[in-house]
Amino acid sequence: MAHASAGFAERITDLKMSDYIVLIKQVPDITQITDNAFNLETGTLIRSRLESVINELDTHALAVANRMNQLSGGAGKIIALSMGPPMAEEVLRYCLARCADSAVLLTDHSLGGADTCATANPLAFAIRKIAKEILSGSNDYYIVSGMQSVDGDTAQVPAQIAEELNVPCVAYITDAEYKNGRFEFVKIISGGNQIVSVKSAPAVITVAKYEYPLFATFAKHRQAEKFKLIQWGANDINATHIGINGSRTRVISVFPPGKTTRKCRHIADAEELAKEIIENFGKSQQRDEKSSDGSYILPAARTNPFDRNFEGTKKESEDYKILAGILEKLGVKKLSEITEEIKEQILSSAGEHFHKNALEDMINGFKVKDPSYQGAVWVVAENDEEKIHPSTFELVGKARSLADSLETRVGVVIAGKNIHPLCKELIAAGTDDVYVVEDSLLEVFDPATYKKAISEVIAKHQPQIVLYAATPRGRILAPMVAYRLGCGLTADCTGLDIKDSSRKQQAAILMQTRPALGGNVMATISTKDSQCQMATARPGVMKRLPPDTTRKGRIIKEQVQISQSDLSLDIIKTEKGTGKVNFSAEVVVSGGKGMQSRDNYEMLVSHLAEALSQRLNTFVEKGASRAAVEQGFAERIHQVGQTGTSIGPKLYIALGISGAIQHMIGVANSDIIVAINSDPNAPIFKHCDYYMTGTVEEIVPRLAESLAKSANQPLQALQV
Amino acid sequence: MSKTSVLIVGAGPAGLAAAITLKAEQPDAEVCVIDKAAEPGNHNLSGATFQAECLSTLLGAVDRNWEKSEQAKDVLAHKVTKDNVMFLAGDKFAFNIAFSLKLAKRLRINFAQMSHQGNYIVSVSKLTKWLTQIAKKAGVEVIHGFAAEDIIYDTTKNIATGIKLVDQGLDKQGGKPPNYVAGEIVNADVIILAEGCDGLVTEKFIQKAGLVRKANQLYSIGVKEIIKVSDEQFKKFTAERVVHAMGYPLWTPVLGPAMFGGGVMHPVSQNHIDVGMIVGLDWKGCDFSPQDALTNFKNHKFVKKFIDGGTVVEAGAKMIPEGGFYALPRNPQTFAIGKSNVLILGDAAGFVNMLKMKGLHNAIKSGIAAGQAIARCTNNLNAVSSKYTELLNMSGVMEEMKQSSRFRQNVAKLGPLFGIPLSVFGQKFPLFNVEKDYFALTRRKYKYKPAKSYDKNTFTALAETAHREEQPSHLTIINRNICAQKCTPKFNSPCITFCPAGVYETIGEQVKPANPSNCLHCKTCQRKCPFDNICWTAPEGGGGPRYKNM
Repeated sequence: MAHASAGFAERITDLKMSDYIVLIKQVPDITQITDNAFNLETGTLIRSRLESVINELDTHALAVANRMNQLSGGAGKIIALSMGPPMAEEVLRYCLARCADSAVLLTDHSLGGADTCATANPLAFAIRKIAKEILSGSNDYYIVSGMQSVDGDTAQVPAQIAEELNVPCVAYITDAEYKNGRFEFVKIISGGNQIVSVKSAPAVITVAKYEYPLFATFAKHRQAEKFKLIQWGANDINATHIGINGSRTRVISVFPPGKTTRKCRHIADAEELAKEIIENFGKSQQRDEKSSDGSYILPAARTNPFDRNFEGTKKESEDYKILAGILEKLGVKKLSEITEEIKEQILSSAGEHFHKNALEDMINGFKVKDPSYQGAVWVVAENDEEKIHPSTFELVGKARSLADSLETRVGVVIAGKNIHPLCKELIAAGTDDVYVVEDSLLEVFDPATYKKAISEVIAKHQPQIVLYAATPRGRILAPMVAYRLGCGLTADCTGLDIKDSSRKQQAAILMQTRPALGGNVMATISTKDSQCQMATARPGVMKRLPPDTTRKGRIIKEQVQISQSDLSLDIIKTEKGTGKVNFSAEVVVSGGKGMQSRDNYEMLVSHLAEALSQRLNTFVEKGASRAAVEQGFAERIHQVGQTGTSIGPKLYIALGISGAIQHMIGVANSDIIVAINSDPNAPIFKHCDYYMTGTVEEIVPRLAESLAKSANQPLQALQV
Repeated sequence: MSKTSVLIVGAGPAGLAAAITLKAEQPDAEVCVIDKAAEPGNHNLSGATFQAECLSTLLGAVDRNWEKSEQAKDVLAHKVTKDNVMFLAGDKFAFNIAFSLKLAKRLRINFAQMSHQGNYIVSVSKLTKWLTQIAKKAGVEVIHGFAAEDIIYDTTKNIATGIKLVDQGLDKQGGKPPNYVAGEIVNADVIILAEGCDGLVTEKFIQKAGLVRKANQLYSIGVKEIIKVSDEQFKKFTAERVVHAMGYPLWTPVLGPAMFGGGVMHPVSQNHIDVGMIVGLDWKGCDFSPQDALTNFKNHKFVKKFIDGGTVVEAGAKMIPEGGFYALPRNPQTFAIGKSNVLILGDAAGFVNMLKMKGLHNAIKSGIAAGQAIARCTNNLNAVSSKYTELLNMSGVMEEMKQSSRFRQNVAKLGPLFGIPLSVFGQKFPLFNVEKDYFALTRRKYKYKPAKSYDKNTFTALAETAHREEQPSHLTIINRNICAQKCTPKFNSPCITFCPAGVYETIGEQVKPANPSNCLHCKTCQRKCPFDNICWTAPEGGGGPRYKNM
């Protein structure tokens, strides 16, 4: 008996009593989005047109927090925290009906209109207040949140909260275990998994996916309905950056995305599909890509002082064009010639186009000659095991054209251990100056050491633009660096252009265009109140330049003090997928959840890959959707998509993949997309060139057979 | 374990009326209403023309100014001034026979009840949403997303003690993943069953408690679409017209009337008209689908002019209990509709007046009676069911039910052509013993089968129905051999055709509920399978259709 109770006491001391703060966001239900849900004039979402729901990944985060608590004894508190309008209380009650012990709603008019920085800041202040007042000053707590929200899609807020609180951040976890008195997290990295634990608590954990979201229980649901939420306003938390004023980016314009240029053709017969594939493979597909031609000219270099053809919005460009036309008619040549009388004449001939105040703004805009920012255009390199990630070269290509417009230099900052040999390749890709931070502690990626290294170099050299790849790594590093340096950051850009905003007295600024609300709208964003303009760019969108080994550039060694105490994570194990995967293959065949089993995946994907390889005479790689990887059909290394690898083959074939937005983003750069799915409503059918409805078991063998049968037909593209 | 004083299963008009009434009489009463839908009104669908007087009784008790609220104006926006009772001959000709109803009224024939003049045209989904708000404001706990599976009934004491909820989180094979939550038992002193037509728990309770229906319950299915039409079409239709149509496409001229039922049309909101088809489940054609009849109705010249070129924006299906007075489940000793501390309300009991073709007002009145009965029996809760039945008798509900009592049985026996007019003498006939609907099926073919099959995928998409995919199928084929050996050879698996959601499919050689997540919870399959071989149970709470304006 004595023995037993001693054992019990031991177990008690063994147990961690961590608490959990779960970040919850109420989002518009973008699956139900309608054409009229957006006010294209003001760029704001008409929220009443859409139902509000809890961000799905946040439900996974809640389940992870609950799991961590259960694994470690179940004695901790789970507090749900949300910032939003009063109606956001619904999502907090969702948490209370499942496992949350308490819930805090941060709501205030002055908190509205915030970017990620002005969201992370008040949330971090609220977390401090929760720790102090609700968790009685404990430091042993975890902040758990979904990796990203479906409306913003930035994944920046959790990392920026970690930065504000100066605590470790573990991003993209899929599971948690409790071993030897500490938590071990399974997290996604490019091409594999990593098992890590944090060196200290508190820590921020972001969840990429957890299979077992919680159900409400009746008893808890009843309590949740009656629970009195804790409600705080801006004055309760004393945050330093809130609302529109605290934001470091602003939305310039919102516009509908260009209609998909995919053909979306339904094909009834496998033979016909084989024919289409053979006929179109390797042919350049007609798509009206948004070209950023780099034809921007600095105001000082323009021949006509009234030339304002490079405005960020269409409306302003048009207004300036009209104004320039009127000025020409009136014979005005110089800015000083615009008198009050001339202004009257302009107004009378401009009619409805602009009014007095607008005209004053526009005329003042003519005075802006100098670029609003100074310095070089930089790229933060992503380098893996002594190899540079392809996205870095794409960004260098983009940086080159931006820097040429701005008449400045291209810099790349690269950190790691023994990376000096990689610099030449960067110079060949278009870099002028490579800034190298070498340290043995930088051998593996830890957000804490990397953000320190990168931000110190940026702070020292003060570039005007810094670009990162929107890879899993870039999407955690960039927000931390940006927050640390007090700079605005736009996530996951697909367009980067130098433009003017003359009416706002700005010239030669970076216009950052990105999809929002699950790709339903495009937004153009500019940086404000920042030293430097920062953006992450979607891999596979920008084009790399052909390498030029004769190019000359400088390699500059940078010294940054990194010590053991800077490390935030213990990396227990890194599991790269078995075997090598070559996603620069010309053809990729992917399988999804619709493959039903690992056997099916292996058999059917291989079968089709082989047939294609024979027929098209090229290497064919195998891919998988995240769902297929989660189901164990394929190794993580094969995962294609936003959290896996973004690819751009000549031909992409998706078997049994429904086409979640994250997956489609990852393959958007493919020349031809073919989809086979049994669900006639599969979203992928709206984002592909050819599709067949039916089970993969049925269609794949027929397609492979048709490909083989057609072997005596000539390949069109090869003939050219 | 959870406990409440009064537990109401089903947050529809009947259940909410009971909750609101009880709260008005006893503000301290602990009243909890559960519903399997995700949101208020999501599982509520009807025509509906509504005799709205009962709302004054119900809502006047909680708020004297109820009529002035925004929601009241919205829900009761359309009053019937144009009552079209049409007889359709073929797909072109239509005759308005409303005059015969006026004549019947003058002659004081029961038949006159079919007139809808002065009633309101309402969306039951919207009405339910509004009543939910009122109930919550009155302090009723209305909890959505929880499905009830069974009633805990003590056969020795003859009382019910609680309701068992559906398990959540089971995987497809019935395994228990880490997030599995066993369905809780919610204990209660009084249980009100207001689940709607063919209620899962209600039917189990009727069995367990030994309640008896003097006549079999008979059903109809209604399928309905809301169509957005042009300004001119809506102006022509007006916001005040109801259409009830008999004849084509359910009656066949040579063989005579084949099926009971007909088409309906109502205005829904500006430029939105609903078009529905109601068919008695005793149809004979094994290849018949109510949606085919709806297609034909929509293509009839009279209907087409109002909707041609319009867009369907919402759709749904539900069953209607039509057996009437003699199909009410009763305690054989006391004749109570319910037993001791359990009451059965609304469509779950079957308070549809077939002469009026309305049940909504009776559902609400049954709720009012239930609320009052509980308030008056606080010291003897086992007497609630008798009190409830007594109040129902006094409220006029039973009077109405009696007047229309043999209507549907007459029609079933004599066919619509003779049955409807002869119902003038309704009470003079003996009560025909009518078999359950599923016996009626024959190998006969539907005469007006459209060339193109109805697009069920779009229909279910517009009903916005969804369930968590990874749960066991809530539809079961009891004996698979019957399908393969009897049904398919004889009738060619009619469930595949008549299920409005396309749940059933032949996979390999086997008929299966292949798409349970498409289910609209209408339960037609379990009442129309010719071999009584399908069982519907409640899926996890929160699943099913998401009606908004139905």
